[in-house]
Amino acid sequence: MSTVRLASITKHFGATIAVHEFDLDVADGEFVTLLGPSGCGKTTTLRMIAGLVEPTGGRVWFDDQDVTFLPPRARNIGFVFQTPALFPHLSVADNVGFGLSVKGSKKPAIAARVEEMLAMVDLTGYGARMPAQLSGGQQQRVALARVLATDPRVLLFDEPLSALDKNLRESLKFAIRALQRRTAKTAIYVTHDQSEAFAISDRIVVMNAGRVEQIGSQTDIYLRPRTGFVAEFIGANNALRGIVSAIEPVTAADATGSDGLDGGPSAQHRLSVTSDGLTLHGRSSSAVAVGDAVVAYLRPEDLVVLDDDQVGDFRNVVDGEIERVIFEGPTAQLRVRVADREMRVDVGGSQRLTLSEGHGRVRLGFNDLNVVPAEAAAAASGTAAGAEPA
Amino acid sequence: MTTPTAGIPARRPLITARRLSDALSHAYIWTILVIFVLPFFALVGFSLTARPGESGAVTNYGYVVDTFGDNLLWSLKISGLTLLINVAVSLPAAYAIVRHTFPGKRVLFSVLTLPLYVPGAVIGISLVLTYNFTYHLTTSMWGLVLAMSLGTFPLMLTPIVVALKDLPVIFEEAAACLGATRWQTYRRIVLPLIGPGVSAGLLLCFIIVFNEYLVTLFVHPPGLTTAPLRVFNQIRTAGLAPTTAALAVTMQLISLAAVLLFFRLFGARHLKGTYLL
Repeated sequence: MSTVRLASITKHFGATIAVHEFDLDVADGEFVTLLGPSGCGKTTTLRMIAGLVEPTGGRVWFDDQDVTFLPPRARNIGFVFQTPALFPHLSVADNVGFGLSVKGSKKPAIAARVEEMLAMVDLTGYGARMPAQLSGGQQQRVALARVLATDPRVLLFDEPLSALDKNLRESLKFAIRALQRRTAKTAIYVTHDQSEAFAISDRIVVMNAGRVEQIGSQTDIYLRPRTGFVAEFIGANNALRGIVSAIEPVTAADATGSDGLDGGPSAQHRLSVTSDGLTLHGRSSSAVAVGDAVVAYLRPEDLVVLDDDQVGDFRNVVDGEIERVIFEGPTAQLRVRVADREMRVDVGGSQRLTLSEGHGRVRLGFNDLNVVPAEAAAAASGTAAGAEPA
Repeated sequence: MTTPTAGIPARRPLITARRLSDALSHAYIWTILVIFVLPFFALVGFSLTARPGESGAVTNYGYVVDTFGDNLLWSLKISGLTLLINVAVSLPAAYAIVRHTFPGKRVLFSVLTLPLYVPGAVIGISLVLTYNFTYHLTTSMWGLVLAMSLGTFPLMLTPIVVALKDLPVIFEEAAACLGATRWQTYRRIVLPLIGPGVSAGLLLCFIIVFNEYLVTLFVHPPGLTTAPLRVFNQIRTAGLAPTTAALAVTMQLISLAAVLLFFRLFGARHLKGTYLL
């Protein structure tokens, strides 16, 4: 319906910086998720887009209209809150029709639209009920129908599923995505739940301490984290501290990347890292020089346990000793001691049954490490400075 | 401890600690009730007694019907106007106090509720001074209405402030995002949801103003005698006669009717389906 552009918007609450010079372009009909830990400023950002919070600096644009200082009612948005926030004294139908009613629509037109919206969220026939008579999931679906009824330019979601139980979350997140696709509306969604973000987004913005850490697709963020924070916040990761020992020439094969996926928008630098006496091969999205302190990240599922005689087709091979095996059903988590360091290795298939604590030495093979400059990694351990309204 | 045999229910002892404490609680509540309500029944009884040569209830209440109507009308009129002014002042004041931050907010709230802690005689004397020498309001009914409003609007303001504080701001945000103006949000969302607070304030103010004597004594214009004023005048002139008691009982019944009416009008309807229930 509308594009959204945030131009270095900033929000200070007294001395705390909740959001710092946040830039974002959301395309028409795109579904963008702001993902981050609590207090990272994602909700404040969303509330600035809605007009519920006035930014300290920067601009918010819907298409080519500057809406920075417009009140929420003049923005034509649909805001779905963490709780359904249905008006408790109004029936379901009156709740859904509220937006049209305050804009002065005629009663028959409102009734028809309400019917249409309730059908869209599978609640036909619930119009006469009071909100208290509905379950949590039904209430949140009514809230969804209520914002869609006014045909908003932009849909904004503030952790709409966090108050629901797990099964309901699963089904409702796909319902939200399906409705957004069907109505072709631009959507901005806030969550701290990585699997939710991965399941429904076109693009994900990872935020920390009021700043953008990385913007990209699910694969960008998972496979090519730009900062230590992203590497450690998204999924499990082994972090190896070390020093860059060599920069390697970029070959033609690197254009597609050794992981078989396209290299993404950023050029990847190939390099070697020395860490605790091991020299490992990796790649980095940032420019680094020999001697720089770096952190190399390695996903547990990217490590392969090799048979003793197997050399394998891996860029890195290390030896270690299994210290602990945690059987988790479809996979088993191994804790492998490699050169005074514990590494997590996830194995599936028959290996999850054959590898045991008494197994002794194993050989691990893996391809490129994801290398991040140490100062970018340090942010991961820093605490979020942003104050986020509950 | 004996183990009950299968099939034969164990007999409960006649006196248990629990039964004893229940009985004591009931006795306590009923004693208190009787102590509070007894004087009223004594008054009702006295209002039905006859003087020599009179027929008791008929004479006494006939007297009420014949002579008390005017006073009751004044009292209802003063109460009604006071309620209107109190609502008109308290609704916006409560909203400003709860939903906005401004310097001196706490001080303002304290000052606004000050009349609650000031003795009636002090209010009365200061109003006589102000009205006589500044506003020349002592000959008008409005002087009395303003005096009543001044003394009672904190009773309206406080329950509304409490109700608004309990109302999550998310409902107003949701309404604003759906395109409602501030006035529409206030009228269609906030006002119905703080209904219980408003009706509590209305009830409190009505009961106080309808029965107010002390301040009225200071500022009532000549020729305007409210119901409580009339009862006190009667006691001064005719003494504690059964007819005086009949006047008092009538006032009491009107207050009681007001309580029932308010609960019927506001209490149940607004409480149903709110987030509180």
